[in-house]
Amino acid sequence: MEPGAPVLQTLDLGYAYAPGKFAVRHLSVGLGRGEVLGLLGRNGAGKTTTVRLLTTLLPPTEGTAVVLGQDIRTGGRELRSRLGVVLQSESLDFVTVERNLTLYAFLWGVPREVAKSRAEEMIELFELGPARRRKPWALSGGERRRFQVARELMHDMEILFLDEPTVGLDAIARRRILRYLRERARGGLSIVFTTHILHEADTLCDRIAVLHLGRLIALDSAEQLKRQHGGAREVSVTFDHPLSAALRAELVAELARRGAAVLPPEPSADAAGRVVFQATTAEELLPWVTRWSQERGLGVDRLSVEAVTLESAFLGMIEQTDEASADGDRGASASPSLPEGTGGTS
Amino acid sequence: MRLPPVLRLVARNFASNLDPLTIIIRFGQPAITIVVLGTMFSSIIPVSVTGGTSYTEFLVPGMVAFQMITGGVVSGNLFWLDRRWAMVEQIFSGPFLRAEYLGGLVLTTLLFSLVGVGVMLLVGLPFIGLPALSPFRLGAVLLTVALGSIFFAGLLISLGTRLRSANAYFTIQSFLQLFVIFLSTVYYPVTSSTPRVLAAIFYANPLTYAANTIRDAFRATLGSSDLVSLGVLGGLAAVSFGAAIWGFRTMDLGPIQ
Repeated sequence: MEPGAPVLQTLDLGYAYAPGKFAVRHLSVGLGRGEVLGLLGRNGAGKTTTVRLLTTLLPPTEGTAVVLGQDIRTGGRELRSRLGVVLQSESLDFVTVERNLTLYAFLWGVPREVAKSRAEEMIELFELGPARRRKPWALSGGERRRFQVARELMHDMEILFLDEPTVGLDAIARRRILRYLRERARGGLSIVFTTHILHEADTLCDRIAVLHLGRLIALDSAEQLKRQHGGAREVSVTFDHPLSAALRAELVAELARRGAAVLPPEPSADAAGRVVFQATTAEELLPWVTRWSQERGLGVDRLSVEAVTLESAFLGMIEQTDEASADGDRGASASPSLPEGTGGTS
Repeated sequence: MRLPPVLRLVARNFASNLDPLTIIIRFGQPAITIVVLGTMFSSIIPVSVTGGTSYTEFLVPGMVAFQMITGGVVSGNLFWLDRRWAMVEQIFSGPFLRAEYLGGLVLTTLLFSLVGVGVMLLVGLPFIGLPALSPFRLGAVLLTVALGSIFFAGLLISLGTRLRSANAYFTIQSFLQLFVIFLSTVYYPVTSSTPRVLAAIFYANPLTYAANTIRDAFRATLGSSDLVSLGVLGGLAAVSFGAAIWGFRTMDLGPIQ
């Protein structure tokens, strides 16, 4: 593999579970070394199928994928020995947590002494100390999930696939794991991460691929996705004194011309000096509002812009795609909102 | 030193799925059968029925043959539990091939069966004395048990690749075990007075061939019919394990929900 080359690159990857019925289709995405790629999507969007395809657990029915320089169709054991996979389903052996960790390391051929010290490290990191002598069925849901992630980290790998690793975890455990994964990514580990907790993806992922009905509908950084798909945000401007009717009418007309929708004033004491509007291009409108008020001898006391979340961007993308589908606008190949060239690595 | 993948899987099979109580029960049950059933029936079953030997002497080779069921059940259950608890998928996401996983199951079966044979011989020793087993005859005994184990393991693994309910798997497994044991010559011989239908069923049962061959090896009367028995067992083992391989290759690796 050439230095700087993506560690993972798919091209039109697809999997049909029955003739003509695709769980994933036309997936083109790349992953760089040390990059964290989030896979987002509703239930049944194709996230788990994608993970299973990329880890050779499922053979693709169309397209190609090269992982660590090897075709997933032929990479087999050699390829898998360089991957780590935390699957969505809980898997366990009928021995204690501690023994599970060392046994799994043994399966991977990790030397005994290394396995012992790594098990201690993982037990500490994932707060499994009180559970170390318990068998997995005696663990709580959160402990079991922490155990699954800890077990996979017992061996060395170049790419780590995590399929909803934080399901059932409390906020502290989740933050701890995300921080650890971030550190590992800084150290060069590439990570593919699926989740339904969008805030997690926002925090952890360098780029996010949004899947919907088996297709990639967006691929970009969280910031870009929020900017592009966050929808209209509410902006509130409070001037230092009440606006005259003429000034208010002028502002409303100018804002409307720039694509913003001004909301009717609320019946409050400072309503006469406040204008609230919704705009998809809130950031771009703010300098204009400031300039407009200065030119008219008005001062701006307070300015607030509703924060856009990845969740609102995600919902926007799904809605846009569904609407496009309903209009019969679904293209045969990639996604309606996938910007050109986003199939490569960042 | 890093062991080959198959041996790592075998070690894991033993370490993870076989608790001491299960092992004691699996080997203890046929051992108790030898002691209790052998002692009780020896006094009431005439030697003419059991080919000129005491019932215990008749029973011990049967219990040795029984180890093919023990080994097969261990493997079948190991596979079922691995599938149920998603370890099959987890193992295949690592540096293992399907053939290695199956190879690990076969080796686990064989090791378990061979240990079982040793235990049965030890328990039977006080009753029948050390059978004069030449290396050839001992080889025939071990080969018989090995082929029988592979047959039964293959049968249960095939089932395990298709069934999605633990209830169904364990019910069918228990029924098969019961059917195979009681409709074989493990506990009683097929004689001229055996009803024809039953005799036909007995001879459709691989355990009958195994029990007869091992009995002949113990009595030093191995002959061409035993060669045929071994051939039948080998053929059945190949078919059964072939079905297991096919089931394994075509099954969904994902866990059973």
